[in-house]
Amino acid sequence: MPEVADIEHLPVPQARAGEPAAWDALFRRYQLPLYVYVFELVRDEQAALDLVQETFIASARHLGSLREDHKFGSWLFGIAHQKCIQRWRQRKEILLDEIPELPDDGESGPDDRLIQREQEAEFMNLLNQLPPPQRTVLLLHYLEDFPIEEIARITETQPGTVKSRLHYAKRALRKLLETKNENAA
Amino acid sequence: MKTPREILLARHRAAVPQLDAIRRSVVAELNRPATREQNFLASLVAGLRNGCNPLWRELVWPCRRVWTGLAVVWILILAVNFSQRDRTSAALVKSTPTAGMMMTFSDQQKMLNELFADRSLPAEAERPRIFSPKPRTEAANFLTA
Repeated sequence: MPEVADIEHLPVPQARAGEPAAWDALFRRYQLPLYVYVFELVRDEQAALDLVQETFIASARHLGSLREDHKFGSWLFGIAHQKCIQRWRQRKEILLDEIPELPDDGESGPDDRLIQREQEAEFMNLLNQLPPPQRTVLLLHYLEDFPIEEIARITETQPGTVKSRLHYAKRALRKLLETKNENAA
Repeated sequence: MKTPREILLARHRAAVPQLDAIRRSVVAELNRPATREQNFLASLVAGLRNGCNPLWRELVWPCRRVWTGLAVVWILILAVNFSQRDRTSAALVKSTPTAGMMMTFSDQQKMLNELFADRSLPAEAERPRIFSPKPRTEAANFLTA
């Protein structure tokens, strides 16, 4: 993940000082992952673009509330997540169903492997089949490789819940991928 | 072979031009002086809030029962104070002295003044008596005789 590695060099202090170039760099760094995350949650292109714009504006307005500069990414995704929840609430969609927590058995998920070109479309289909809470944590895990604690902060859940959702999501994806492979063979 | 991240990003790469346009418009908006002032105020408020949070966490929250108790006591004191103040002010408003009352009051005042007047000193200093010796009786008889 080459783009994730440059988090340490984000120009957050300069953005705090109001430098437009710094904001431009920050937005450029996160615009696509943020859009992907929002789109995969709301499934509406125009709405996703609007939400990204709102997220950018809100981040510029409330940067003072960010305490640790290196957590800018998770903070930005947290704003976007809140915007998605607001939209869900407006549309009265079901957004979070509780999943029982499971201890992590250390199984490796599909993120540990590379996905073959033929499986890309399948992967996306399978991802879309997951329930929203699992899809949310999986997207955050895949897109920015956020640690469990930061995903918990973004989604406003307990780290244990995030862990179990991630576990379930990976297991479900793996099963689906294996079934597809068996059928193909 | 791709990672899930690469697949996800590649799938939505078509949105990049629109995202670029959004980014440019937001940055241009940030450049406007009015927006800058707003953002400065917002960041100031957020900074203050951040500054107050540790105080709240370390000073108030650990002994919240004590603070609540103190607050309740103060509220009670203030309530009693206000209720009494209201009563006295109402009484002042209600009483309108009549002419008779005023006369009685002035009489009483006069009496009090007389009663409590300082008696250690005479009201007027006594005049010193001028000594004029009178002739004794014998002398007077002698003179008349």
